[in-house]
This record gives sequence, structure tokens and C-alpha cells, in this order.
Amino acid sequence: MNGIQLLLLAGVSFIVLYFITRLKNRLMDIVLLTALVLCAIVFILWPETTNKLAALLGVGRGADLIVYISILTFWFTILKLYRRIRLLEQLFTEIVRQQALQQPEQLSSGSINEPHKDTVVPKDHSV
Amino acid sequence: MLTPQSIQNKKIIVLVPTHNEGSVLRQSVEPLLQQMPLQVVIIDDGSHQPAVKQVQGLPVVVLRHKVNLGQGAALQTGITYARKANADYVITFDADGQHAASDLPALLQPLLRNEADIVLGSRFINGHSNSVPLFKKGILHAARFINYSFTGILLSDAHNGIRAFNKTALDKISLTENRMAHASEILFLIKKHRLRYKEVPVTVRYTRYARQKGQGGGSAIKILFDLLLHKLFK
Repeated sequence: MNGIQLLLLAGVSFIVLYFITRLKNRLMDIVLLTALVLCAIVFILWPETTNKLAALLGVGRGADLIVYISILTFWFTILKLYRRIRLLEQLFTEIVRQQALQQPEQLSSGSINEPHKDTVVPKDHSV
Repeated sequence: MLTPQSIQNKKIIVLVPTHNEGSVLRQSVEPLLQQMPLQVVIIDDGSHQPAVKQVQGLPVVVLRHKVNLGQGAALQTGITYARKANADYVITFDADGQHAASDLPALLQPLLRNEADIVLGSRFINGHSNSVPLFKKGILHAARFINYSFTGILLSDAHNGIRAFNKTALDKISLTENRMAHASEILFLIKKHRLRYKEVPVTVRYTRYARQKGQGGGSAIKILFDLLLHKLFK
């Protein structure tokens, strides 16, 4: 076993530990994670399997195949995140909007000399 | 022209979204109040200095977003307010002093005659475009064709903030694009709900202030990106 294999295995183990402590009751996520981790371990310990797979798909090297798949996954993840952000933004907007609509400030021509309620009126300390 | 009878008993609300406009806000709003009986609603989109301080003494309503959400979100807050207030006609008007209050009657005319549900101001009909900076002109024309490719509606102008809606349009227009892509979203909604639209010539003033505050080429790319996401996730 060489250095890079040790490094990658350590990384994978850390990710597994991290997720398992946080995903206690989410079965599907655990199953998916386990599948991914098993693939990773196989590819790390027997790198030549990726070469065989790559040759099967018409890609030169196994490492290249992994990069291509990673890019696709990355794109997909970014799109999902954008979707999530937009949904959160809509929710947030609705809250801010409701708050704005609940407190309309009706000004009038006569209010010019009245201090606004948000305006801080300096306290007169001279008295 | 608009006779007092034709707008009698009609509730007209002018929505003015604003974000950090300072004293220019007051200069934009004051001429509106001299036009005709109308209600001005300012939507303060999280300005650092609350906009309400700029318009003290004017008979207006101010709605304030506690945080900055974008012009589209501010307009939609105004639209929701106008619906609840049972407005007959709603006009959107920029706070940066680019629009002329004297264009309001021309904007309302097609609605009063029931020729359209939504009237869009255009700086490019009847030679009103003379003062538009060249670069801005190029971007706007590109935007026209991008909107056309998305909606099939080819207008003579794009992203002009002065518009008028009747009750039918007011009920159908719900903007989900918080930022500048709302201008194209309005066209999507016109098409989706088959609203009758009309363009009328308006004046757009390019003051030094408006040029500084206005949008450059970079924001055009942001708008395009928002539009793509809008189409992707709708």
C-alpha cells in the first residue's frame, strides 16, 4: 500500500464517521453513503479496476473516468443547491413582505413637524 | 385627455420602490402628488437610512422591507398592498428621478378606454430615445431580443420601470423574481395569462445620478442567469 492510498482511506473513514454520527435515523442516506464508500474503498485499494471500467467506456485512464463522473455530480449538486437557495429566498421574502404589509406607515401633509416614531429624539439633559 | 370624470371614483395607486435614493426620492415623489388624485405607496427596500425620513410631510404610505430583497420583491410587496387596498389602477414608477410624472395620464389612457390590461412605458417610440447613452441602448436592444426569445413578445423597450396595470393585470401579476429579472417575468405573465398589453412613449431622463445608480452590462448577465434559473425551476 502506498502513501496516496493511506491518505484517501483516512479521508473516507473520516467522512464515514462524520456522517454516521449525524445521520442516525436516515436509512436511505446511510445506504447511499455506504454504497459510495464501498466503491471508493475498492477503487483506492485496487486502482486497476477503474482502468478496466474506463476501457469499457472508451476512456483512456481510470482516473480520468473518475474526474468526469465527479464533474457531473458536482454540476448536479450545484443545481440542487441553487434550487434550495431559491426556495429559501422565496420563504424569506414572504416573511419580510408580511412584516412590511403589517406595518404600513401612513404619512400626511401635516406630519412635517412631528418627530417620526423611529426617530431618536435627543433627551434634554439641561433640565 | 384625462377628464376628472374619467378617473372619478377610481382608486389609483402609484408604487415607488426605493433603495438608498436619499433626497432624490422626495424629488421623484413630489411631482406625482401634483398630478391627479392618487395614492403614492413607497416601498423602502431595506435602505440604510429609512426612506420614511426623506418623505416626511408628504401624504404617502411607506412600506419597509427590513432587509434589502431587490426591486422585484419591492414591487410585489406594493402589488399585494394595492390588491388589499382594492386599487382600480396601479402604476409603477422609479424613485431615481428618471421618470416624468407628466407621463401618467398617457399611461392610464389605454386602461381607462379598456384597450389594454397592462401599459408599458417605452423610451424608444416617437423619438424619445435621443438621450439614451449608446452602450445602454445596445444592452437594452439585446435585452429586447432575449425577452422575445423567452416569451415571443417583442417590445420596443426592455426593463423600463414605468408601467400601469388594471385590476385584471393586478390579479395576475405575482412576481417571484426578487431582483431585476422581474421585468422579464412580467412578460412571461402577460403571455401566460393572455393579458392585453400596449406600449406608450415615455420620457426617461439620464441624469448623472441615474447613470451612476443605473445598471451596467454586468447586471445584464446576472439578469440572464436569473432568467435561466427561473425557467429551470418554475
